[in-house]
Amino acid sequence: MNHCIVLFFQFCKFSVLCFGGGYMLIPLLTAEFVDREQVLTMSEFGNLLSVAQVTPGPVGLNTATYVGYVNEGFFGSIAASLGLIVPTILIGCSAAAGINRWKETFLVKGMLKGTRLAAVALIMFAVTIFFGMSVFTQTIPWEALGALFKLERPVLPEGFALSPAGILICGVTIVLMVKTKLPTTALLLGAAAAGAILSAWF
Amino acid sequence: MEIQTLSRARRLLLLYCSFFRITALVVGGGLAMLPVIEEIFVNKYKLLTREELLDMTALTQTVPGIIAINSAVYIGMKIGGVPGALAAAAGAVTPPFTVILIIASFFPHLNPKNRYLLGVFAGIRAAVTGMILVTGCRMFRRTVKTKLEYAVVFIFFLLAIMKVSPALLILAAVPFGWCYVWWQTRRLSQAEQASDSEKNEPSAKTNSETTGNGGDGK
Repeated sequence: MNHCIVLFFQFCKFSVLCFGGGYMLIPLLTAEFVDREQVLTMSEFGNLLSVAQVTPGPVGLNTATYVGYVNEGFFGSIAASLGLIVPTILIGCSAAAGINRWKETFLVKGMLKGTRLAAVALIMFAVTIFFGMSVFTQTIPWEALGALFKLERPVLPEGFALSPAGILICGVTIVLMVKTKLPTTALLLGAAAAGAILSAWF
Repeated sequence: MEIQTLSRARRLLLLYCSFFRITALVVGGGLAMLPVIEEIFVNKYKLLTREELLDMTALTQTVPGIIAINSAVYIGMKIGGVPGALAAAAGAVTPPFTVILIIASFFPHLNPKNRYLLGVFAGIRAAVTGMILVTGCRMFRRTVKTKLEYAVVFIFFLLAIMKVSPALLILAAVPFGWCYVWWQTRRLSQAEQASDSEKNEPSAKTNSETTGNGGDGK
């Protein structure tokens, strides 16, 4: 029960800090559940996000429900989902009327400017997390890459390599997304099929 | 359909069912919901105008929280007050919660052994990587404009890589934003004062352009 309350407040925190949509949750969630508490491994988290993407509903909520379940079962998933929603409802009900009036005030303007820049940086960081799960076979070894600053050859860990299937699917998705107006669902289904077929070779 | 005359309870039910349907059908969430919201609330029930929807879209992306729930709360609020917001949020939550709960209870640890299933997951992950990259680049182009902003985003990015907690980064960004906006407005007002004498130059340019156009017209 105690754990459920902790989970609820954790997700309240994520909800309040989540400027710029569900993808912002990725760095927040990995920092908390993969790096610090270690209730999920990175590959489990990646699979979880894949499931969240292909099942209906907002990615943030899907992820919250799942992480809650992995942590504390049924009540955990309720606590996590509520944690994500309650702050939104509180902020929404109080701000829906006022925000257009406050939008030009110094405090709101500064806050939006700052958080937006941080959000862009954190989404780029989320991209690198995802690179480690798709384009590369392992999490990107930043510590080893730090050697580049000292003009030394970085010592890459065993098993860290490029994944040809990942590069191919990622690249095709980017091109299709920029050049065509295919719906996300079609892209995801195509990628799933391509992944299954390519797994026979690589 | 005469929505305006509906009883309060029916209105709440309508909100619940509409958002239930939206999140049950739309894969991808967030902004992918917008066209469906427009279809249902603007075109079909005429409870919102297109302008209100646009305002709402901007708003849901400025306040914190996931976009899907933000939209539900604001539309619910607009149509049915606080109970409306609750009904809409509940409707938006029910389908994904149920679906994920079923999946989670069958596969508590997403570690499939089957080679093809692993391939499916890997494929989706790769596609999601591309999608986040495209979304991130679009966001980057919209928000980051000056050299200083480029530098700030880069520093935040480096800090994130160096395992500084993302929560801390967002909190630190708020006072930074205040300083930045304060500095910007001060510089702008200084520039305005300073350019009072130099103002003749650009205005003279536009004058000559307009007279030039006028001459062509004649």
